[in-house]
Amino acid sequence: MSRSRTVLAAAVTIVLLAALVASCGGSSTPSASSSASAGQPTGTLTVWDYYGSATPIKPAIKAFKKLHPQLTINYQAVDWDTFRQKFSVGVSSGAPPDVATLDMTWIPTYAAQGVLADLTKMSGGQLNGKPIQSQYTPGSLKAMTYQGHLVTMMSDFDAYALYYRADLFKQKGVAVPKTWDEFSAAARQLAVTSGGKLEKYGFQVLPDTFHFAQMLYQNGGAILNGDNTKAVFNGSEGVAALAYMKSFLDDGTGVYWGPDQGDSSGIAGIKDQRIAMFLNGPYLMGILKSSAPEQSGKWAVAPAPISKQPGSYLGGTGLTIPVNAKNPTAAWAFVQFLLTPSQQLGVYKYAGAAPATIAALHSPLLTKPDPYFGGQAPFGIFLDAMATATPYPYVQAWDKVDTAISDGVTSALLGKQSSQDALNTAAQTTDSALAGQ
Amino acid sequence: MTSFAGRARVRRAVTGYALIAPAMIATTAFLLIPMVLSAYWSLTDYNGITAPTWVGLHNYVALFHDPRFVRALTNTITFVLLGMSIGPALGLCAALLLNEHVRGRGFYRTAIFLPVTTSLVVVATVWKMLLNEQGIVNTVLGFFGLHGHAWLADPSTALYAVIVVSVWQGLGFEAVVFLAALQSIPQALYDSARVDGANAWRRFVHVTLPGLRPTLLFVFVIGIIGSFQVFDQVFVMTQGGPVESTNTIVFYLVDRFQALELGRASAVAYVLLLILATLSAIQFRLFEERST
Repeated sequence: MSRSRTVLAAAVTIVLLAALVASCGGSSTPSASSSASAGQPTGTLTVWDYYGSATPIKPAIKAFKKLHPQLTINYQAVDWDTFRQKFSVGVSSGAPPDVATLDMTWIPTYAAQGVLADLTKMSGGQLNGKPIQSQYTPGSLKAMTYQGHLVTMMSDFDAYALYYRADLFKQKGVAVPKTWDEFSAAARQLAVTSGGKLEKYGFQVLPDTFHFAQMLYQNGGAILNGDNTKAVFNGSEGVAALAYMKSFLDDGTGVYWGPDQGDSSGIAGIKDQRIAMFLNGPYLMGILKSSAPEQSGKWAVAPAPISKQPGSYLGGTGLTIPVNAKNPTAAWAFVQFLLTPSQQLGVYKYAGAAPATIAALHSPLLTKPDPYFGGQAPFGIFLDAMATATPYPYVQAWDKVDTAISDGVTSALLGKQSSQDALNTAAQTTDSALAGQ
Repeated sequence: MTSFAGRARVRRAVTGYALIAPAMIATTAFLLIPMVLSAYWSLTDYNGITAPTWVGLHNYVALFHDPRFVRALTNTITFVLLGMSIGPALGLCAALLLNEHVRGRGFYRTAIFLPVTTSLVVVATVWKMLLNEQGIVNTVLGFFGLHGHAWLADPSTALYAVIVVSVWQGLGFEAVVFLAALQSIPQALYDSARVDGANAWRRFVHVTLPGLRPTLLFVFVIGIIGSFQVFDQVFVMTQGGPVESTNTIVFYLVDRFQALELGRASAVAYVLLLILATLSAIQFRLFEERST
């Protein structure tokens, strides 16, 4: 009797302790006192930023604080590599940021999970007093929209063009390539090989979905079918695109740049001269300038050589408000502030990347000659690339599709499978992921 | 008298509960509640934001139909089998050598234990640079006229590269544990064996190994549990690639959590728990049988 009473007492103690601990947990509902329902934002604004040391967001905080002195801003710089883990933990544990920088390639998964706030509703279709539709290009608007609602506001955009060593092109009498055939010929003229192996001046071949998508789109292909239910990247356009990527490795003119090489920017290869050409977005301009200042004046940018049509993946950084943000009023005010033309120019000024709003893109600051690029003004080229770029499909299983394609591309480039077999395997995985999402 | 005894018993019970309360709160908050919640979530479709939807065993069934999970499972089993074959064997060899009276024994003991004291992330980062196609390992091979290899970029070698690094990092721990156990085996047993004419190998088989049995159980149980949970070195060195060749159960779990598939991630956690509980029970049973 006494023993059973003791056991009961212990059980009751555990249950009470559990209830006590559970009641101490945070609530996921927005705090009513944290912000006014409309008008002046108050309370605390939490910002998570992955831009790094060259962020345009941190300098903007001081100016924003002057406008809203009653607001407390909790700014956290978060490493890009671990940002998704932190963001997932934050939103699922009820402790999300109010504003987060999210890579546009992460948006489909989070949007389809219902994690991102409906910015169409929050903004009333207006950004800083003007219609949002008039402030972004059609491609950007498409990338920012999920099921008819805006889920993010692009801060910078990413669309690919060809970076090349203009000094070497001039020295070797190589013409800037406009087509795939010319591109291969230029790579052969440029490369210095030994025993069929590249020694220096190669084209950087990256085994990822971004670069495969670039070639796929240029070759008239698509990743998924019209209603996003089936993979079509393993069609003839995709197979030819992948085979074309591999041809650079086969003829010793390409540098395979796997994840073991470090970051995908390829700075190590650029500095030791292994890389003389690469396809990448405007953010690389800033990285080149800060990481390889000794190569100032040697680089130039040209439109990516094409097979059938221009095309690129469209990405960048989206300013995003989680659906369970504690202070959505302040969050939207801050997002609007970051997208004013003067703050948007900070994206170029500090991060060396391309601002996404039309007003900023046409600023004289961005179109003036850049000494690093031999007096060229490369932004116009990226702007043209954006006009024909395509965002990734909005499917919940996008991360699985992305992994399947990257695996297929890697497998083919390493010669483990033929291009057709590698893409067929990736397509099977993609179809199951889409069916099970 | 009876009333006094009863009050004393109650007082003792209250004191007892008060003393264990901090541990109970911590265990309840950080172990029991998460475990119960996780078990429930594994039976639901849940993203941490919207309410969980009951799906029964769907997450468990779907896991074994997902080629990525199956690959993660087989990779992890390969990691455990190779790691736990090579690691303890090398650790024991090192311990046997360090148990001898050699000059500079203290230095060797420190040197072999040093990687254990270093952060796994640091170790993995350094090895990632060493194993890079342009890294020191290939440069050294080049001195001997051997062609280098992209160890971490090639799907057929990446997992083995991760295993080598893991074994290297854990070797010191195993060696020190075995060394402590070796020193606890009475010298008299070796002396008796010598008198009976046992050579070094027979002394090892009939004296050393039986003396190490509890330590072997400890090393294998801890080692297998740790190996099944391999994550840090994979995250730093390969991110599960190339082509899923180094994807492991825990890396897959984190990947699903990152995509906010909390139901699926919880199911992975329970599959792992089941595997580890079964293996640990088998190991205890085997060692018990041999001990009796």
